[in-house]
Amino acid sequence: MRQRLEELERAAESELPGADSEEALAAVRTKYLGRKGLLTGMLRNLAAVSAEERPALGKLANDIKERLTAKIDSRAAQLAASAGERALLRDRLDVSLPGRVVRRGRFHPISQIRQEICGIFAGLGFSVVEGPEVESDYYNFEALNIPKDHPARDMQDTFYVEENIVLRTHTSPVQVRVMEKRRPPVRILSPGRVYRPDSDISHTPMFHQIEGLLVDRGIRFSDLKGILTVFVQRVFGENTAIRFRPSFFPFTEPSAEVDIRCVICRGAGCRVCKQSGWLEILGSGMVDPAVFRSVGYDAEEVTGFAFGMGLERIAMLKYGITDIRLFFENDIRFLRQF
Amino acid sequence: MRAPIRWLQDYVDIDLPPGEIAERLTMAGLEVDAVEPKRPDFSDVVVARVLSVKPHPGADKLSVCEVRAGGAVYPVVCGAPNVRAGMLSAFAKVGAVIPGGYTIKSTKIRGEASEGMLCSEEELGIGEDAAGIMDIGEDLPEGADLAEALGLVDTVLDIGITPNRSDCLSVIGIAREVAFLTGKTLRYPAVDPKEGGGNIGGVTSVRILDPDLCPRYTARMIRNVKIGPSPAWMRRRLEAAGMRAINNVVDVTNFVMLEFGQPLHAFDFRFLEEGRIEVRRSRKGEPFVSLDGKERTLGGDVLMICDGKKPVAIGGIMGGLNSEVKDDTSDILLESAYFNPSSIRRSARSLGMGTDAAYRFERGIDPEGVVRAANRAAQLIAELSGGTILRGIIDEHPKPVAAAGAISLRAERVNAVLGTSIPEPEMVRILEGIEMKVEKAGAGRYSVRPPSFRVDIEREIDLVEEIARLWGFGRVPVTMPCAAPEPPVQSGKGVVEGRIRDFLSGSGYTEVINYSFITPLSADRLGLPERDERRGWVKIANPLSEDQSVLRTTILWSLVETWRRNAYAGCSDLKIYEIGKVFFRRGEGELPLERNRVGGLITGARYDESWGFGGVEADFFDLKGVVEGLFDVLRFSGAEYRSDFREPFLHPGRCCGVSLGGETVGFVGEIHPAVQAALDLKARAVVFELDLDALTERFSDRVAFREIPRYPSGSRDTAFLVDRTVEAERMLRIVREGGEELLESVDIFDVYTGRGVEEGKKSVAVRFSYRSSGRTLTDEEIRTVHERIVSAIVRETGARIRGTE
Repeated sequence: MRQRLEELERAAESELPGADSEEALAAVRTKYLGRKGLLTGMLRNLAAVSAEERPALGKLANDIKERLTAKIDSRAAQLAASAGERALLRDRLDVSLPGRVVRRGRFHPISQIRQEICGIFAGLGFSVVEGPEVESDYYNFEALNIPKDHPARDMQDTFYVEENIVLRTHTSPVQVRVMEKRRPPVRILSPGRVYRPDSDISHTPMFHQIEGLLVDRGIRFSDLKGILTVFVQRVFGENTAIRFRPSFFPFTEPSAEVDIRCVICRGAGCRVCKQSGWLEILGSGMVDPAVFRSVGYDAEEVTGFAFGMGLERIAMLKYGITDIRLFFENDIRFLRQF
Repeated sequence: MRAPIRWLQDYVDIDLPPGEIAERLTMAGLEVDAVEPKRPDFSDVVVARVLSVKPHPGADKLSVCEVRAGGAVYPVVCGAPNVRAGMLSAFAKVGAVIPGGYTIKSTKIRGEASEGMLCSEEELGIGEDAAGIMDIGEDLPEGADLAEALGLVDTVLDIGITPNRSDCLSVIGIAREVAFLTGKTLRYPAVDPKEGGGNIGGVTSVRILDPDLCPRYTARMIRNVKIGPSPAWMRRRLEAAGMRAINNVVDVTNFVMLEFGQPLHAFDFRFLEEGRIEVRRSRKGEPFVSLDGKERTLGGDVLMICDGKKPVAIGGIMGGLNSEVKDDTSDILLESAYFNPSSIRRSARSLGMGTDAAYRFERGIDPEGVVRAANRAAQLIAELSGGTILRGIIDEHPKPVAAAGAISLRAERVNAVLGTSIPEPEMVRILEGIEMKVEKAGAGRYSVRPPSFRVDIEREIDLVEEIARLWGFGRVPVTMPCAAPEPPVQSGKGVVEGRIRDFLSGSGYTEVINYSFITPLSADRLGLPERDERRGWVKIANPLSEDQSVLRTTILWSLVETWRRNAYAGCSDLKIYEIGKVFFRRGEGELPLERNRVGGLITGARYDESWGFGGVEADFFDLKGVVEGLFDVLRFSGAEYRSDFREPFLHPGRCCGVSLGGETVGFVGEIHPAVQAALDLKARAVVFELDLDALTERFSDRVAFREIPRYPSGSRDTAFLVDRTVEAERMLRIVREGGEELLESVDIFDVYTGRGVEEGKKSVAVRFSYRSSGRTLTDEEIRTVHERIVSAIVRETGARIRGTE
């Protein structure tokens, strides 16, 4: 009897997975648990069992009944749920269709580079200051130790408005304007448009520079190396080799060009780096005492350094752009790439 | 400056490869732009020995020779009279290329095989001797490459000299740097002119009338020269340095200029009237024909070298055609002078004559090197052209050139500025290594006297730089400034600009950057009236082209141009903006007014074409919405959009002025169809432009929190049938002016014309929302207020109510 009960339970359980509709499940329920069901029949037959065996077998039969009921109920719930899912599937979407794209407009690549650079220097305590784009000869040249009739003027061709008014050729005049108004310490960054009459694949008559200036007591050339090394490695990667090469700017002394290992050939020599393996990316130097004199700072008291770079050049190296004019043609297919 | 290595070797021993020299120079501040190998214009020409010479059986003037080179023996037919057995000569093998592009072939000459060619100097372009084949006297290895064996292979360093280093505009100047950087000693050439004949004083004289422009003028006379081509070595030198050889006198003046950096000039003495030199300023309007054959009319301030009657050279810039050295010149007056640098620069620029001489004079030559260069050149001219140097030199020196005095140097200061700990003896070694006189002047103090050719060194900081660059920038430590920085300050303009940029790009607009200069024709294209302030351009005196000749007074034109370029390129859907300056001219001598502006343009589809939406053309309200959103981001309320606003370039019925607090800050509008048509553009476009500075002035980042309402609102929708000319803004103003306290908000949610609405009318549906902060409003309360508002609108606009909900 015990054996038959257990066999019955197993048989009932084995039928459940096959019952894949409510009707089929109802048939299983009736077959075993219905009034004329197999288990019900067995329970009825308990009367024929001996009195000692009856309580144990009765309990077993009832347990089996309970277990089967629970299992059938759970299977019923399962079937009900999947019927609901099937109904939802009738409302299915073709999710492979493209979404309604929320297309963000782009920042001009020059703006992006400027933001990145300003961000790095903001972390080093540099505040952004702007200045006029049309400048007096005094701020653009004289105060920066570039007197009239001086060969250093050849370094920058100039657009003139009047004899003593020019389109600024660099962002350096902002240095002077700021120092005239403030006492040290000064930590500023000045991005902006600059102008030089030149137009070819690597020159446009307008381009962008960022000028930096740090003046305080005890600022050393080694600090210039420190700040600019951090900056360059942030922009071009921690492993970028960098070198400081003596050069000349009228408003700094000593002056240094900063070169990085060519990002194209990694130093092997290529057309972009003119086979030198190095790329010039910014000019820098210790502020010349003559500049301090023109703004009334005492060069014995404070020292400082300044640096300047062309944003187009940095953007070109970073993105592999070969023609600078693309920046100002504003072809939307160009701008959308950034 | 082009410096051939072989030329440098005349003054300094070089045992490092050219690449290494270039690297050291570059890292000392003399940037080598290129390292150019230089070879004579032939290949596959070797040193060969003539083994035997037999007469050619078929020709009187030819010989048949056996020539040995590199172990092989070649039969060669030769026509040179000087060919003889046992001599070493130049042999062009079969396949060799010689000047003129000739390739040597295996051939038969009158029946005799000839496997190559024995060459003359002239045929190889390395000398003048064309009389016979080269007769190499030295013992050179047979089979060796001729160019290598004769030392004709060279390397030229092309060096970018910064404006401060006039001393390096000479081969000796560069050799001096090389000597220091490689631990060698600099050798100056021996200057020893052999004088003869009479005394110069008896033949000519020099008078300086304007010593401010010409502080020193020296002259040498060389008589009985024979003009001819310079020897090959001289021509090679000049050519390697980038100069054309002319004749044995002019070449010497160029050679010495390149060698010492002192420009020189040779006059044909027979053309100097009265046989003398006078140095004076030009007279205004004075005509002069310079060596380049151009006639120029001079201003009043150019320094002229004259004879007794007329100008014969533009001092320090270019000689005159009238006194040029010619083929039959026999007596030379050689000039070596010091001219005022700024005067030379002004003259050279105003005359547009950037000559090699002017380039050096304006940067400052060595004032003490004038006589040496004159002597060196006189010596070479005499050597090369067989002339006689007259005894003595004229040295008119009315005004001493200010030489830098002793500079005091503090060793401590050097290290303080650099952040280094360079030992004092090292500093002294460096300075003395570049010919500075260094004297100890106390503990850690020195008195330093720079050599006369270093005109750039006047101050202590100049010495600091010299020490730094020669000690090595690479050896300076990498440190961070000691003082902790203050947190950076962001300007109001920076904040506003940043928000606008974020908002516009976030809203789908792409940033463009256009040139600040535009074409003055833009004003006509935009239909700006004659007196419009936007015609008050800042004009560029020397523009690259007419269409980039004025600074823009509006961003709009730049946007329209961007639109046009993109439309022509086939991109007709655009959402763009630009942030930049506009410029307005002010009085003469005054800087212009600069204003920051932001402008935007939309044209084509509102959204990208897609399966679910798109195909909607953008219109006025897209851009007006952008302006409204932008004001929301900046927390501006109460902006007014005035329809009585007109711009000649905007559609009169589809534009408005934008004001904040009563001040016009910009506009939104559709481009006028006439402007659009004139630009040959098909689609329409809407633009806006706002004055960023005006926005910045009004910007405040303060936010005052308002309690979130606790009681529900009740809304009522009413559609008003009004004349089409009645502006929605007018209806809203009536509502606002009513000042109802319980009215929380009012919004237009539909505007309808068409079926069901009579001609000339429109239906404007408005949603009024009512709320009290203190209680839930009853229907009755709402109705009372609502009816008051509605009847005010009806009363003032003559509206009819289409239906009330």
